Formats: sequence, structure tokens, C-alpha cells
Amino acid sequence: MSGKAYNFKSITVVPKASDFVDIVLSKTQRKTPTVVHKGYAISRIRNFYVRKVKFTAQSFHDKLDTIITEFPKLDDVHPFYADLMNVLYDKDHYKIALGQINSAKHMIDNLAKDYVRLLKYGDSLYRCKQLKRAALGRMATLMRKHKSSLEYLEQVRQHLSRLPSIDPNTRTLLVTGFPNVGKSSFVNKVTRADVEVQPYAFTTKSLFVGHTDYQYLRWQVIDTPGILDHPLEQRNTIEMQAITALAHLRACVLYVMDLSQQCGFTVEQQFSLFENIKPLFAKKPLAIIVNKADTMKIEDAPAEVQERLKAYEAEGISVLSMSTLTEEGVAQVKNAACDKLMTYRIESKTRNPAMQASLNKLNVTLPRPRDNKARPAFIPEGALNKRMGRVPTKGRTQREQKKQRNEERKELLAQMPKRKLARDLQEELREEYSVDLRKEWDLEDASWRYDEIPEILDGKNVADFVDPDIDEKLRQLEEEEASRKAAGEYDSESEDEDTKAVRARALLLRERRNMFRVASQRKSKRNAPVLPIKIRRRLAEAEERRLARLNRPKHATDDDDGDSDYDEDTRGRSMDADEDASRAASRSRSRTPLRAKSKKTVKGVAPEAAARRKKPVSLRAAGGVQSSTLKKASKKMQRLGFRKINYMGRQGEADRHIHVKMPKFLYTGKRGVGKADYR
Amino acid sequence: MAVRAQYEGSNDVGVFATLTNSYCLTALGASENFHSVFESEVGEVIPVVHCSIAGTSIIGRLTAGNRHGLIVPNSTTDQELQHIRNALPDAVKVVRVEERLSALGNVIACNDYVALVHPDLDRETEEIIMDTLNVEVFRQTIADNVLVGSYCALSNRGGLIHPGTSVTDQDELSSLLQIPLVAGTVNRGSDVIGAGMVVNDWVAVCGMDTTSTELAVIDQIFGFQEQQQSFLPAEFL
Repeated sequence: MSGKAYNFKSITVVPKASDFVDIVLSKTQRKTPTVVHKGYAISRIRNFYVRKVKFTAQSFHDKLDTIITEFPKLDDVHPFYADLMNVLYDKDHYKIALGQINSAKHMIDNLAKDYVRLLKYGDSLYRCKQLKRAALGRMATLMRKHKSSLEYLEQVRQHLSRLPSIDPNTRTLLVTGFPNVGKSSFVNKVTRADVEVQPYAFTTKSLFVGHTDYQYLRWQVIDTPGILDHPLEQRNTIEMQAITALAHLRACVLYVMDLSQQCGFTVEQQFSLFENIKPLFAKKPLAIIVNKADTMKIEDAPAEVQERLKAYEAEGISVLSMSTLTEEGVAQVKNAACDKLMTYRIESKTRNPAMQASLNKLNVTLPRPRDNKARPAFIPEGALNKRMGRVPTKGRTQREQKKQRNEERKELLAQMPKRKLARDLQEELREEYSVDLRKEWDLEDASWRYDEIPEILDGKNVADFVDPDIDEKLRQLEEEEASRKAAGEYDSESEDEDTKAVRARALLLRERRNMFRVASQRKSKRNAPVLPIKIRRRLAEAEERRLARLNRPKHATDDDDGDSDYDEDTRGRSMDADEDASRAASRSRSRTPLRAKSKKTVKGVAPEAAARRKKPVSLRAAGGVQSSTLKKASKKMQRLGFRKINYMGRQGEADRHIHVKMPKFLYTGKRGVGKADYR
Repeated sequence: MAVRAQYEGSNDVGVFATLTNSYCLTALGASENFHSVFESEVGEVIPVVHCSIAGTSIIGRLTAGNRHGLIVPNSTTDQELQHIRNALPDAVKVVRVEERLSALGNVIACNDYVALVHPDLDRETEEIIMDTLNVEVFRQTIADNVLVGSYCALSNRGGLIHPGTSVTDQDELSSLLQIPLVAGTVNRGSDVIGAGMVVNDWVAVCGMDTTSTELAVIDQIFGFQEQQQSFLPAEFL
């Protein structure tokens, strides 16, 4: 939380009770209507007064509400401020005052509600007015009853606004000790605060705050009133403020002592106070500051005092001496205290788990050696030279060294040819530039770079056959082959007569098999359209019927079963002579069309009929309908089908339609400015 | 020396380049600016090679390598492999591995002596890494991320790792790698260190967004700083 949260300067003023009433009533007078007449409708009169009552109640409500919200709640503020306010203003008193204001707010709300209800029954202007008067009067009386709490709150407000703005969470040095030991002088020296310093006890009667800089950070230095060595119950308000600060602020405590005893308290008393308030320093960085070193240094102090101080030092409490008069040691004290607090704060922060998560980023891990293997960096000579010229340097000698190195580097660079980067080349060539990948190749012979290398050779990926040892393997193979040849492994005399005969027969067999295969391939009706069995059957029946109609003795298609299809027919189960002849012919033509058969079967029919039948009937083209009569019939059916759709045709949204040709309103009555047409 | 660069508007230079002590691979792009950054920084000393892997330009994430070798994924075409083999020095072994985790740059983080790998990497691949890159291999995670290559940048002199790494993890990794480590970021707070920068023993290239604070940390941990300005003890410089 920042210091801004504890700025109590912006609380609005709490008016006195009488002022409070005046403010609200005059506001009501200004902001609500003022004129009403007997003659008005009664509801209007009632509304007039209801509005006044409601407005007044709301004004009281708002003002009381601001008081309640703006005053700090003791449970919400930092415990340091809660305790300080308890010490200064008495917690109970403060809470009761605010509670009374809160109850007054509610009572005014209820009051207004009651009177508004009553006003609804007001039957004349006079009665309504009296009701309003009663309502406002009771509100004012209520406020006057809380006169004392309002006065108390105003005092608290004034005091709060004058409290030093102490941020309880920031870096803080807290100066404490007996009265008159030089606490305020130290604060005056270290900060720009101007705390009153007088040679009597309890000059400082409240907390003072000053700010100082150390390591570019802002440090808060709090001056506390002196405290005496007696039990807590006997402490007065002034001392209690110091105790509150000691108890609640996470600060570096500077316990100021005066060995010269000029303050009027013995060293013994000062030590005993230190022991008594020690619980308040628990877990805080702590330093004993021996002031007034100009009159008595630690070395000059009695031996037992020195020993006690040494004992404290051994406990981890730093003991420092200073003189606020001569300013000797003041800066050291400040620095030591700040350092102490800083380390303490950092330590406590690193213990925080949230902090722990980001701590690793501040950590450089150095390796623990796990073996004796050396793992040196590998930096080529050229890289080292290049790097030398670039390292940032500081100081004169380094500048000179750098200069020297630069010269060396220049020589080196001069020896090296100037590099042309790919970017330079690209800028030069613009759109003609294309990356030359082969330029980057590092081959045994640079002239090989642009040799053509096929990716695919004879349908094979060349890369699949790349073998680094190919030459060696080839040589070995060739040797092996040569030795085989030499051994006569490939001589062909080994075959005898039998095997030769077998081979000849096998060749014959293979040839014949081939012949058969070709013939059967020719015969099969590959790719020809195949009619469904149903249609084929129907066609056969139709054929039969027609033959019957022609009244001719059928001899050609005397089937055993009517189901047989055309192919079977053609190949023939009939015993007819000319059928046999046609069968012989049909063997050469692998496919026998339908018409061929019909022609054959109707031998002797009138020539025109034969010609008609010869006409190719492509069932596919006719949509699967055989005869023209059938076709006609189907057409007719189709048309009938469509007719139904047209019968059902209705007017729809998509149809263009003028509802009324001449709407009456457009064509009747007078025309304004002589226009006969609106549109 | 740490420099800033950009690949066609992208700050993830570690995605588009692989930098080692003996070679540098850069992605093929419309402009040569990115390539020439490497050319001018290291081109006099080591070959800077254009290449693509499986037709893509994300070569930094697909390949892993060091001074001794380069490992490319199975998706690399024959022609690409041939080009890389031709362009790199003969001393560098180039190996194509059949590995399910094909973004090798993401799953392998290495310098010239030690490699950290994804815990699920194939055992065969691990052996290939050992043989090709001449490294000791450790299966590790960085800040509970299995993609070790993405979340760190290593050289023989130091390493930058994911900002979420705990101090104990950092200690462990450091003693495995035998180099000083620091947790940090690149590219204005990006935790994908491996994608945001490439580094070898004498130069680092970071994304253009890298802040000067981040650059200072990089300069120091990788030993580019003179000794008196460095936070590292003398034996690590």
C-alpha cells in the first residue's frame, strides 16, 4: 500500500449540528419548487410537499453518508494507524460517534418514509403543509441531538489531517530513547524536517517524520517523543505514540543514549528502559546510538558501561557513537542504519514465496566439476581477430591497446580480400538475383561445382544408389566375375538332349496357351452395354408375340425355355440348318446384335417390313421404351402428370400483383398546390 | 558479440538458422538480409550456407548440430541432404535420422561436449547423436518442459535457459553441462530462448525485439564481455 492510502487530509469538514440543519434546509429551499396554491388539485399539492420531505431526507442522508465513508475505519487501516488513533482519540469514543451518525441516518430515512405515507392522506394544502413542517422539524431535532458526536468528529478530522503522513510499509528509521537525549537533533541533522529542539524533556509531543536519501532511495525517519522507564499502564498519550510506532512499524530502530547523563537520566536508567522495551524491537534491525560524543565518548565511559555495550554488540546490536552537535558520526550512523534495514528487508522479501519464483533469474549457476575432462571453448583464429576490434573498452590504456589492436586488425583485413555479401549482390542485381546454392559448395575441386547431376535416372532416384564405396565394390565385383569366367562357369555345353526336348515342348505349350488367351479375349464382350435381365426377357417375349402375330410357323426360335437370353439364342440350341450356317458366321463376330437375329428369324417376310425392322433400335436412346406407341403413351402420361401441377398452381409472393389498380385515397379530394399526382 | 537480426519480419532467428562453431545454416528467403548478417559476422571464419529442410525454412527447429556434426530429420529430401553435405566441411558428419520427434532442434540442445535431449527420444537416435556430435547425452527437461532445444541456448562457454527454471534445476543442468547458466529471456520477455537466438563460442544472434538488458545478460553469460565487466569468475571467461 502506498502512502497515499494514509492521507487523511481530504476528509470533508463536519459542520456543527445547527449549521448542519441550516445547510440542509436552505438547500431544500433552493432546490425544490416554492410556489403552491390552494386552488391546485390536491394530488399536485401532496406531490409538492412529498417532494420537499423526500429531498430534505435525502440531503441529510447523503451528508451523513459522506461522514461515515470518509472517516477511516479502524479495522481497515494499518494497525499502526489503528493503534495511534486509539491512543489519540479513544477507539470506543470514535466508534460510538460514527455509530450514532449511522443510526441518525437510518432514523431520518424512516422518518421521511412515515411522513410521506401520512402526506398521502393530506386532504388540504394546510394539512399537507403542517405534515411537512412536522417532518422537517423532527429531522432537525434529531440532528441537534447528535451535536456532541458531530463536534467530536470535527475535532478528530482536524487532528487527523495534521498527522504526519507516515507510510507504514516503506523503508523507515525510527529514533527512540529517553527524553532529551538528542533524538530530534539527529532527525534535524539527517533530514530536512524542522523538529523543535529545546533543552527540556518532552519538547517533542507527537510523531514527526522527515525524509532522507541514501543509495538513491527515499528513507523515512520518524522522530518519536521520549519515553520514560515505567510500566505500560502508566504511560501517557505522548509516550504511547512512540510505543505505537515502535510496535507496529517494520523499521530500523535507533535507540539513542546519552552517556554524559546531561539529559537528566542515569546510564543505568537508560539501559533498564532499553531492556524493558526490548520486546518491541523483536525481529527488527536495531542499533544503539551513543549521542553527545563531544562530551563523553564510549572509551571515556565507566568500564561496566563499556562492557554492557560490548555485550549488546555481541548480540548483534550495532553500537555507534555520534555527536549531533559537531555532526561527528551522524552520517555514519545514518548509513549503517540504512544498510542494516536494507539487508533485513531484502532478506524478508526473499523469504516470500512469490519472490522465490523470480529469484532464479538473479542467480548465475556455476558448474561443480564432475570429471577431469577439459571442455574448452572453440574459437577459430579468424574469429578471435575479428572480435578483438569490437570489445567495448574503458580507460586510457585500454584505448591505446584497442588502437593497437585495431591497426593489427586493419592489416589482417587488408590481407583478406574484401567480402561481398549476398545482400550486396542482391542489391546490385535487383530482380535478376537468384540464390546460387552451388557457390556455397565446398568440394575437392571447385570446378566440379556446376557439374550436372541428374536427380532421376532411368526412373530411379539417383540418391538411392549413391554409395561412397561404389568404386571399390565395382572393382570387387568385376574381379569376381573375371575369376568365374576363367573357371568356365558360363560355358553352355552342359545341356543334354532331354532337356533340349523338354524346352522345345514347353515353348510349344506356351505358344498355344497364348493363342487361346487371345481368342477368349476377343470373344468376351468387354465394355459393351449390358441390358438388365428383366428387359431382355421382355424383349424376347415381345419378339415372340410379334412372330405369333405374323402368323408364321416359328422355327427359328423354338426355345426350350423362354428365359434364355440372346447370346444363348444366337449360339443356338435350335437344330436348323441355316442357323448352323449363321452360327459359323457369328463365331467370327464376337458380338451378334439383336437385329441380326430378328432378320434371320423373319426370313421370307415382305421386304419393307424387313427394312423397317432392320432399323437400329437403340433402347438407351429411347429411354428404355421399345415401340413408338409405347412412347406416345408415355408422353401422354407425362403430360397428364404435369397437368396436375398446373391445376394446383396458386398465386404466390413471387408473382407480380397490383392489389388495387386505383386506390381511392390517391384520386379523391382537393390537390394542395395544383399537383394532380402524388407520385 | 551479440547482434540483433530479423528473418522476414520474424524475431525468431533461432527458427530460421543453425549456428555452430564450424558452420552456419540459414533459411532460404526472399531477401538476403538475414543471411548476410551471419555472413558478415562469421562468414570469414566458417561457411554460411543457405538450405531448406523438407522444403521448409524452419531449419533451426528441424536440425541439431555442433562443431562435429549435423543431424537432420527423415523428412529432408535427398537433394537437400546432398547440398548440405557438399557445402559443409568434410570434417562435419551429416546424418539423417529416422525419429518420430522430427523437430530435432526442439528436442536436442547441445554444445560441443554435452547434449540434453527430450526424455522420449528414440534410443537409436540417442546413439546416433553420441556418434555424430561426439557428445555425452542426457535426457532432461528444462523448467518441466520436455522440448529442451526450444527453451535454452548453449555454447561451450555458457548457457541461457528458460526463466521459469528453479535454482535447483539450474544447478543440476549446470553441473551436467559444465558451463555457467543463467535463467533469462530474449525478444522482450519471450521464454523460448532456443527460438529467439542462436549462439556459438564467439557470436550470438538474437531477435530484433531483444532489449539491451537482455543483450547485456547474453553478452555476459556467453563470455563476450571483457573480464572486469563480467559477473563470471575468471576461469569461465
